[in-house]
Amino acid sequence: METRTVSVRNGMFQTPVLEGGTGSPLLFLHGTHGLQRDRFLNLLSDRFHVIAPTHPGFGEATGSQHLLDLWDLLYYYLDFLDQEGLRGLPVVAHSLGAMVALELAALQPERFTRLALIAPLGLWNPEHPVADIFALTPSELAALMYCDASSEAAQAAARVPQEPDAFVQYMLERAKAMSTSAKYLFPIPNRGLSKRLHRVQAPTLLVWGECDRIVPPAYAEDFRRYLPHAEVAVLPRAGYLPQDEQPETLAETVLAFLTR
Amino acid sequence: MKFEMFHLMPYRELPPDFREKYRSVWVDVPSHLFDPVAAHRMYNDTLDELEYAAALGYDGICVNEHHQNAYGFMPSPNIMAAALARRTRDVALVVLGNSIALYNPPIRVAEEFAMLDCISGGRLVAGFPVGTSMDTNYVYGINPATLRDRYYEAEELIIKAWTEPEVFSFDGKYTQLRYVNIWPRPIQKPHPPVWIPGGGSIETWDWSLKKGYLYAYLSYSGFKRGKTVMDGYWRAAERLGVEPNPYRAGFLQLVAVGESESEVADKFGPHGEYFYNKMLHIYPGFADAPGYRTLETIKAGLLGQVGRFGDRPPELTFKDLVEQGNIIAGTPDQVTEQLEQVIKDLHIGHLMILNQFGSIPHDLAMENIRRCATQVLPKLRHLWEGEWEDHWWIKPLANPQLPGPLRLRDSALAATSGD
Repeated sequence: METRTVSVRNGMFQTPVLEGGTGSPLLFLHGTHGLQRDRFLNLLSDRFHVIAPTHPGFGEATGSQHLLDLWDLLYYYLDFLDQEGLRGLPVVAHSLGAMVALELAALQPERFTRLALIAPLGLWNPEHPVADIFALTPSELAALMYCDASSEAAQAAARVPQEPDAFVQYMLERAKAMSTSAKYLFPIPNRGLSKRLHRVQAPTLLVWGECDRIVPPAYAEDFRRYLPHAEVAVLPRAGYLPQDEQPETLAETVLAFLTR
Repeated sequence: MKFEMFHLMPYRELPPDFREKYRSVWVDVPSHLFDPVAAHRMYNDTLDELEYAAALGYDGICVNEHHQNAYGFMPSPNIMAAALARRTRDVALVVLGNSIALYNPPIRVAEEFAMLDCISGGRLVAGFPVGTSMDTNYVYGINPATLRDRYYEAEELIIKAWTEPEVFSFDGKYTQLRYVNIWPRPIQKPHPPVWIPGGGSIETWDWSLKKGYLYAYLSYSGFKRGKTVMDGYWRAAERLGVEPNPYRAGFLQLVAVGESESEVADKFGPHGEYFYNKMLHIYPGFADAPGYRTLETIKAGLLGQVGRFGDRPPELTFKDLVEQGNIIAGTPDQVTEQLEQVIKDLHIGHLMILNQFGSIPHDLAMENIRRCATQVLPKLRHLWEGEWEDHWWIKPLANPQLPGPLRLRDSALAATSGD
């Protein structure tokens, strides 16, 4: 997979897009952690031509200062998708990206053919509050991210570069990811999506890691209730980042749904 | 040289095991630890202490704003200032300040500050802090992505509300108003002096210098850390071509005065430790919402800090606190000498002194205020006289209509005042 930079709205946004694979186009919208070039995306690219943009404000994606709120972000994405000619395609998305995918699908029901959403955000249930990722120390957050804190995936994620330049880079990336996520999710990740979900006509798969301690699996039922055509798949031995902990099972589940 | 007595209005009676049992003094500090009857005493003791400082000649008395915080529970500093306005006469009421991004709409600040200025006879100093992440993001839910922008927009609206004579409309990003026309308006023209209390953000220096506001470094780290920050401020002033008038700078210092070093350590030691080890016991997850600090500030701070964060500061002893400069403690002469050094090294014209800190009970606080006011400050007042003029001070009415000044209930002074 390769990265190219796409200029949107006359250069107001410079968006890195990770792209690769053969087959018909598939849009991937990343979550609060930023875009990872990982095994899960590689598996998707075996079957589809994956197009994975970085949201403005994450990594090298510029223009976030022009986005005040979720609506500004959605209109940016309408510009991006129209410019790239992306319509009538499936979308796979995680957490914040899944919230964006649902909002876009509600705005333009014909934009996506199918939605496969991993731990989507956008609803709030006071009995099962979404973890406040913005009020956790880094070690607390690391402990909540994974089903198995001793797994390789969890260990790799907890590793902080020691070399000073790499450390500063790492911290700035995290600061960008977290502060941009906060723009759309702080203090409570509810911007009224429940009022709009009835408009999402495309078949939707809701995938949850069984031990997700960030977005409780209870939300799957809440989303399923609001969505016209939704089904739920729960992955054992996976938490908030099943793409890290169970990439093969996740890919199998998602691909089976998309190609049905 | 001007001296203001600062008061945090702390909850003086937290349990001894507070630090071990609870994760934070701020935001989610448990409500069962709060006793409103104790608070009734504490609020009134605090007001007594501030009025006493005023009666003994402090130039200003300060209140500030915090929310869901046991180290300072004045969510509305304007209520405190109103309580102080009528029982004081000449002292400046330094509200340091209103966290303007939290007032909806911001003209509420313009209105309440105008009321305070009118009631007091033109004695208000208007503080505009950005506000801590704890107060603004975690308690008041302001998105860190927009906090600073909201702050700048609020300042613009407040100043315009004070100074624009005609009715005007305001189409801001965060506030939209059709008819801004506040009644009352302040006595002081063009408006009360504006002070910006900051915690060391680089952006705040440049902004206050460009606006012509006073910058007050408020931290509990004491004068050694204070020097680093104030040096940065004066370098910024030089870069911007602003003359280094010390009266455009303020600094906060904890001070304990007694008869000997060991007496001070005995009397104030436990209270100093209470302050640093309990009142600053803040859950690190609440310290810094993502986006609260700009990337520039983060970058500047990171370069000394590989792998160390989310850590809590260690417990400190009174001895540590005195050595590190967090607290200036000793005999009147020792304190005078050290404060003179601080004033000159940091080049400040406004020194805010915390005579009551942590669990210091009322009587000891009053003693500390008296010692400081009568045996320390008179020896330091002459500093900067004749060299610089204070453009960041109140311009009160000459003959205010106010009730008589405080009738001193303190027995030592009552004997001399005929009360």
